[in-house]
Amino acid sequence: MRAENYEARNHPPSNEFEINFGPNHPGIEGNYALKVKVHGDEIVAARADGGYLHRGFEKLMEQRLWIQNIALVPRICVPDPAPMEVAYSMAVEQLCGLEVPQRAQWLRVLLLELSRLAAHLFTFGGHAATTGMYTPMFWGVADRDLLLDLFEELTGGRVYSIYNIPGGVRRDIPDDFLTRLSDTLDYIDSRLPDYDNLLFTNQVFVRRARDAGPVSQAQALDWGVTGPNLRATGLAFDVRRDDPYLVYDELEFDIPTEQPGDAWARTLVRRGELLQSIRILRQVIDRLPDIGGPIRAPIPNPLAWNVPAGEAYVRIESSKGELSWYVVSDGGDKPYRVHIRGPSSMHAVQVLEHLVTGCRIEDVAQIMFSLDACPPEVDR
Amino acid sequence: MNDAHLPVERLSIILGEVKEVRVTQKGPRRTRLDVAADALPALLELLKGRAGFVHLSAISCVDWPDDAQFELVYHLWSYELNLLVSAHTRIDRDPGVYVSVYDIYHPAGFFERDIHEMYGVFFEGAPDMEKFILTEWDGPPPMRKEFDSEGWVNDHFDWQDYRPDWLLELEAQGGGVMIPPDEQRFSRRGIEDNDDAG
Repeated sequence: MRAENYEARNHPPSNEFEINFGPNHPGIEGNYALKVKVHGDEIVAARADGGYLHRGFEKLMEQRLWIQNIALVPRICVPDPAPMEVAYSMAVEQLCGLEVPQRAQWLRVLLLELSRLAAHLFTFGGHAATTGMYTPMFWGVADRDLLLDLFEELTGGRVYSIYNIPGGVRRDIPDDFLTRLSDTLDYIDSRLPDYDNLLFTNQVFVRRARDAGPVSQAQALDWGVTGPNLRATGLAFDVRRDDPYLVYDELEFDIPTEQPGDAWARTLVRRGELLQSIRILRQVIDRLPDIGGPIRAPIPNPLAWNVPAGEAYVRIESSKGELSWYVVSDGGDKPYRVHIRGPSSMHAVQVLEHLVTGCRIEDVAQIMFSLDACPPEVDR
Repeated sequence: MNDAHLPVERLSIILGEVKEVRVTQKGPRRTRLDVAADALPALLELLKGRAGFVHLSAISCVDWPDDAQFELVYHLWSYELNLLVSAHTRIDRDPGVYVSVYDIYHPAGFFERDIHEMYGVFFEGAPDMEKFILTEWDGPPPMRKEFDSEGWVNDHFDWQDYRPDWLLELEAQGGGVMIPPDEQRFSRRGIEDNDDAG
């Protein structure tokens, strides 16, 4: 960072100070900076400053074969990588008119919901830590690790699974995998009362989180808020139900909503989603053994694969909100244009700047975690 | 049931009022509109006000240097109709100026800022055109097709040999695992040689 970028451009009054949150700060998710102007301990202005995690994915993808990009895409969002792979694969399938086998679609749902569970456990921990409670963080990370074990068993990778390819998935489930999955779900289910006592009904947390960073439904729609943050304002919208993809229209699940739209409500919605993901996974466990057939559709030689010219706009409900991919092909062996719209490109920039202004300095980190903002998705 | 209550029908009634818009049905919940650049803001206003397309999902920019044009795609979602409309328009690559739709859709602020940074398209009336990701970037807009990232690296940086002294010593004695760049399976040189041969 060059020094001139950190000079206060408008000389502030002497009772106002500029403070940098980040790019390396325990209260910030990932390497991201928030420049805030404080008057006492009240934030009077905030400016998001990204770019620390910019790796130029959109440009890189234009220079690589369609199949090579598979190894690149999960890295766009570190805590919740599976939706990226699935969205990219779905976009390529739409362009090619590939029909994905039923079994592969169910396996993708399994991966997506496991990833959502892992991401939410991570977020609970992070949010609790910003209010000074470190135990839920350790618990959340430890319980997430059990899910990572399942990822490792299923895909070979703990974090970046690189499991989906255009046409289907790379491999089938190992023997007895569903039993171990079921056991892990039972364990996470049994942990929820502990989490409730420690976090969700703990007055230390509730009093901090209530009324922190409130968003009304009208504001949320105006600012492009999506996902759990939108559902925390009372609007029951979920891409999985209202713009269904894969086999979500065959699955039963509810859409948890809350009214107040503050940090507390956002966390409660995620707790509800945790239960719904477990419910979906149990249905997958029941149905998957009866669904036979191949796990991927035949694709042309991936090293000489010219995807037909066209465009595809794919939307997916990631753990953070609406994730969309716009992929354009000109008929070549590489994508012509890829545009990734991560949900956090709204939450971590305009929404965060709005919500932080006027709050107290100790709530900044909490608001960012309660929005579940994921900076790598913004910087791409 | 009146057809006007069906989402697609209601949308087509509204679109019937707009001149010079080409409608293509791409899927059950996907509609593509092609519209002239000067008619697009009015179309967005109409879609938001009359058809409930309150959510701007994204603005994508595609560079078409052969046509000397940028394609701007406005992806809109209606929570009432559960429909996605992608409004496509094209603007001249030079000078690359268009109007901001921030007044209609606030999320546009982020996307327009991003497109300005990556493609150099200026949006008149946008509240904020400051750099966000490439704060220290002085070069040309990097997402344009003519920008060659490898060429830029070769022009602006030196390649370094990253082998430390202790490894060089080991290799001098015949140890270590060293594959010379020419023999590396995926090295550029290998690919270029194959190209020449083929």
